[in-house]
Amino acid sequence: MQLTIDPDNGLAIYDQIVRQVKYAVAAGVLREGELAPSVRELAKRLTVNPNTVARAYLQLQADEVLESIRGSGLIVRKAAPGRCRRERADLIQARLRTVLQEAKQSGLGVDDIRTLVDRELNRLEK
Amino acid sequence: MNQVIEFHDVCKRFGRQIVLDHVSFNVPAGNVFALLGENGAGKTTSIKSMLGLCTPESGTIRVLGLDPHRDGTEIRHRVGFVPEQPQMYSWMKVEEIGWFAAGFYAEGFFDQFIRRVEAFHVPRGQKIENLSKGMRSKVALALALSHDPELLILDEPTSGLDPLVRREFLESMVDRAATGKTVLLASHQINEVERVADYVAILREGKLAVVDRLEDLKERLAQLLITVRESFVPLPDLNGQVIHSFRRGRQWQALVADLTPPQLEALRTHEYVEAIESRRPSLEEIFIGYLGPSAAALPTEPHPSEEMQP
Repeated sequence: MQLTIDPDNGLAIYDQIVRQVKYAVAAGVLREGELAPSVRELAKRLTVNPNTVARAYLQLQADEVLESIRGSGLIVRKAAPGRCRRERADLIQARLRTVLQEAKQSGLGVDDIRTLVDRELNRLEK
Repeated sequence: MNQVIEFHDVCKRFGRQIVLDHVSFNVPAGNVFALLGENGAGKTTSIKSMLGLCTPESGTIRVLGLDPHRDGTEIRHRVGFVPEQPQMYSWMKVEEIGWFAAGFYAEGFFDQFIRRVEAFHVPRGQKIENLSKGMRSKVALALALSHDPELLILDEPTSGLDPLVRREFLESMVDRAATGKTVLLASHQINEVERVADYVAILREGKLAVVDRLEDLKERLAQLLITVRESFVPLPDLNGQVIHSFRRGRQWQALVADLTPPQLEALRTHEYVEAIESRRPSLEEIFIGYLGPSAAALPTEPHPSEEMQP
């Protein structure tokens, strides 16, 4: 599982970790029953504060993505992939909403915005 | 919570210059605490005071419950410290300096030291004087960590180091924190601090401008970009919640504390306000907000004669 953290992107670091673990579970990079990296290991790999990782893991447990297995750490819960796939759409939609709001406030018309969105999608397809 | 470092109303001056001006803060155990500030803001003096290497005129300091003035030797023995420019006997080989330092600590120090320098890929048989700056810093870090101190103090640990060595330093800090140890660092590297710090304290000319949990600070503060209808319109009054603001043309930028949703809404619908954006500030914006010149001190438009300067 590869995560990338950007402290400047407007989302709290713990929130970025929560989202990216969910995306990894949704995409099957981290499968049902598989062990998530330990707090210490992930903190070191991302060079972020371990308390931040611990907070993200607590959130992921509360969101029923991870569960703790006594003595061995945290594993991906049963049915978590489906839940994460559904949530992934919601999270991305919310992000898109803020961008679209900004586009609208900047004075662009709906058609202009649609053209821009299509252009970016085409660029990604290539 | 157990406090590893306590500063209470600490004052220090060098001659006429006030270096620490009634500084108070606590560093709770098991956290990464970052001291930020410009050169000369009092970061190094704070660190020296913690280690008993300099004595404040007034106020009290406790480190691991000890008084640095009285128990400086014990404190220096129990904490790990990496100064900005580590001084080491340059004619010694890496392993010799480890062996030399081991004499001051409990058994096991030398083995730990060798394990660490090898993990850092430092050649153990090389003389200190033949090592690069990065390698030398890694030796200093290994020396500071090999007695497994409950508190690690780093003064500008990564300044002047290449990205790979910086990363190794950051990993070591993170790993300390993951094992419940406390780390205090003074730094200029805002983006590194933003990743690793639990708490930040910003010093400005010897005064503590702010100290808080980084996450709480980001929740509490908002970076506003306000477009007003005419350039002469002042920033709407916000009950002294504005930490820093300046205007460029018709846009005000402001760092604001504890802005409530009704206040934001009132700003949005203010008759002179055309548009407003509010977002979570980055640590850099917070830093500039607390340290930058205040609105009053800043010329509203760039001065023509200043622009002529090279």
